[in-house]
Amino acid sequence: MHENIANIENSKRAKKKEHANQSRENRNMAMMMPPRLNPTDSASGPKQHQTWSPYDNNGGTCVAIAGADYCVIAADTRMSTGFSILTRDHSKIFVISETCALASSGFQADISALQKNLDARHQTYQHQHGKQMSCPAMAQLLSNTLYYKRFFPYYAFNVLGGLDDQGKGCVYSYDAVGSYERVGYAAQGSGMQLIMPVLDNQLKSASPLVLPKRETATPLTEAEAVDLVKDTFASAAERDIYTGDGVEIVTINARGIQKQYMELKKD
Amino acid sequence: MAEAAIALPPKGGFNFDLCKRNAMLEKNGIALPRFRKTGTTIVGLVFKDGVILGADTRATEGEIVCDKNCEKIHYMAPNIYCCGAGTAADTENVTDMVRSQLELHRYATNRESRVVTALTMLKTHLFGYRGQVSAALVLGGVDVTGPHLHTVYPHGSTDTLPFATMGSGSLAAMSVFESRYKEDMDKEEGMEIVSAAICAGIFNDLGSGSNVDLCILTKGKTEYLRNYQKPNPRSYIRSKGYDFARGHTAILSTRITPLKDQVTIIEGDAMEE
Amino acid sequence: MEEFGCEWNDAPHSMGTTIMAVQYEGGVILGADSRTTTGAYVANRASDKITELTDNVYICRSGSAADSQIVSDYSRYFLNQHTIQLGRDATVKTAANIVRELSYGNKSFLECGLIVAGWDKYENGSVYSIPLGGTILRLPFSTGGSGSSYLYGFLDQAWKDGMNKEEAEALVVKAVSLAMARDGSSGGVVRTVIIDSSGVTRNFYPGDKLPLYYEEIPYRPTVEPMSA
Repeated sequence: MHENIANIENSKRAKKKEHANQSRENRNMAMMMPPRLNPTDSASGPKQHQTWSPYDNNGGTCVAIAGADYCVIAADTRMSTGFSILTRDHSKIFVISETCALASSGFQADISALQKNLDARHQTYQHQHGKQMSCPAMAQLLSNTLYYKRFFPYYAFNVLGGLDDQGKGCVYSYDAVGSYERVGYAAQGSGMQLIMPVLDNQLKSASPLVLPKRETATPLTEAEAVDLVKDTFASAAERDIYTGDGVEIVTINARGIQKQYMELKKD
Repeated sequence: MAEAAIALPPKGGFNFDLCKRNAMLEKNGIALPRFRKTGTTIVGLVFKDGVILGADTRATEGEIVCDKNCEKIHYMAPNIYCCGAGTAADTENVTDMVRSQLELHRYATNRESRVVTALTMLKTHLFGYRGQVSAALVLGGVDVTGPHLHTVYPHGSTDTLPFATMGSGSLAAMSVFESRYKEDMDKEEGMEIVSAAICAGIFNDLGSGSNVDLCILTKGKTEYLRNYQKPNPRSYIRSKGYDFARGHTAILSTRITPLKDQVTIIEGDAMEE
Repeated sequence: MEEFGCEWNDAPHSMGTTIMAVQYEGGVILGADSRTTTGAYVANRASDKITELTDNVYICRSGSAADSQIVSDYSRYFLNQHTIQLGRDATVKTAANIVRELSYGNKSFLECGLIVAGWDKYENGSVYSIPLGGTILRLPFSTGGSGSSYLYGFLDQAWKDGMNKEEAEALVVKAVSLAMARDGSSGGVVRTVIIDSSGVTRNFYPGDKLPLYYEEIPYRPTVEPMSA
């Protein structure tokens, strides 16, 4: 009897703790940090049975840069779990429309479900409006789609890139539950911590919060931006074990959408 | 008498006093520092004339590569080398301790060290710490009784094998050995299979990477081939390079404090300027 | 480390095992499989679980590899000392009691089951079983390890008093291969050690040459070894 009460007390405490963890997680996510998977309690006391998790982290890195009249969206092609590689050739970039592409890292199953969902919504939009969705509209739709699953989120970290209504490059960066902002450049995924400071240093785009409002697009030419993206991926592949094998680079400009591929280290 | 005996501090060994504190901190949600665990591929193989040891050169801290070209084949004696996987600090210190004991033993006995001696020293040390010293080792050498290859696990168990693999890439490497190992191979064939096994770990295990190190031990001769293969060069270098022009750090304020005024000479002469 | 589940580092090495020893007319026969596992991974498929203690006494090890090795190493050390001090071979009973003393005295730290068997001039062949807590039992035959649960009934039926060497060895090989067929954590080859007045004989039975039982599939090399 006593034991039972103790157990109930324990489980209550455990739930409370879980709750505390979660709220911390969300604050983190607002800062666009991936939440920790499998919150196993390693503190003292009886070791709990490893509970099944609906999520996995398949790693990978996404980068996007907005220019005056172009947008570069890039992602590596490695998909991994734990210490093993699942495939060296998996595209993380989903081209939604003629002016919009989505790069996502995180959990592959959630990412593909999210892409399917967005594609269906875009199909409906086209039937109803007789035109493709603009990139800023797609950005808002993605946010809504993510927030719709606020309490069982898509484990996906997204970067949306494309051209806005004026034909200017635009990049949107997200957390897992739909918080987003328009930025000049963005990185997401396992190599984010390595790449972001380099982009900050090289691109120095103004924060959208700075007043008076300044241009968010980066000053580089398209070729310079692609060159920089290739170098950041080569560097991330040197130090991040989940980034490697190859990088797929999608460029969107007035001429349309171009894709290119570069080999990365395979170790 | 009895009280004095109780009051004596424990001699040597690890101090576990802080374990309780760490458990408390962890319970309160404070993360402990991460150890440098070398997700690793290390292997060894016996061939016709001796033993070949192999290792990758990647050291990781979680998902970040912290050393792209580290050394995992440690010197134990002129005729004995040892590959280490697990916590880097543990493998380095355990092999160093045994290395020094073996050297003193050689001075005392005037004889070449034996592989079993190193093996016994390693296993007794590791068993005493009941798996807390996480060193997983592949020990190889050639002594007066011939070539020897052993594996040592963190809990202190040992195996004697014709071919062995360890670390997070051990399964990838073992698949190469299981399909290609033959008895009485020559040196070239042995080196080929060992480097193929290490490459299997480098390319298929995320904890292993970069280059291949080899160590070939034969009767009276040891060859240490550092970076025998370099299969992972950098894939791209930015054409523009990175230039950081001088004066890019903004100076917000300046204050100069002349130290000379703050010093009074009490004794002796002032130093020449 | 836990995040990536590196079993070899977290889980201790253990020998899900089949070991046994049988007394026959004139001596003893020890038998064991050769599989050592770390979780689900076979860390060694040709291990030797029958270890020498003295010239005339051997030990079968099961459970934690580290623990059983250290107990055997200490026993061998004490028995060597004992043999020198006494000026003659230690008896099997003495050897078994040294093992028991280590097993019982350190029971809270150890996780291994052992079978000591050998030959001496007082008792001829004798088998001592020393399971987990440090109990000691003299038995005409004994099995241990995870595979033993498949063998009790078989041995109760098949063991006969006064078997000769050939009959006894055939029984050991049959029993170990039966357990290897049913127990997932036993396998590889069968090793036997025969000890009698004339000395020690070691035998080796490769896994592809063992008798096959109900529903077992014959060994057939599926692929030629890859060429370099």
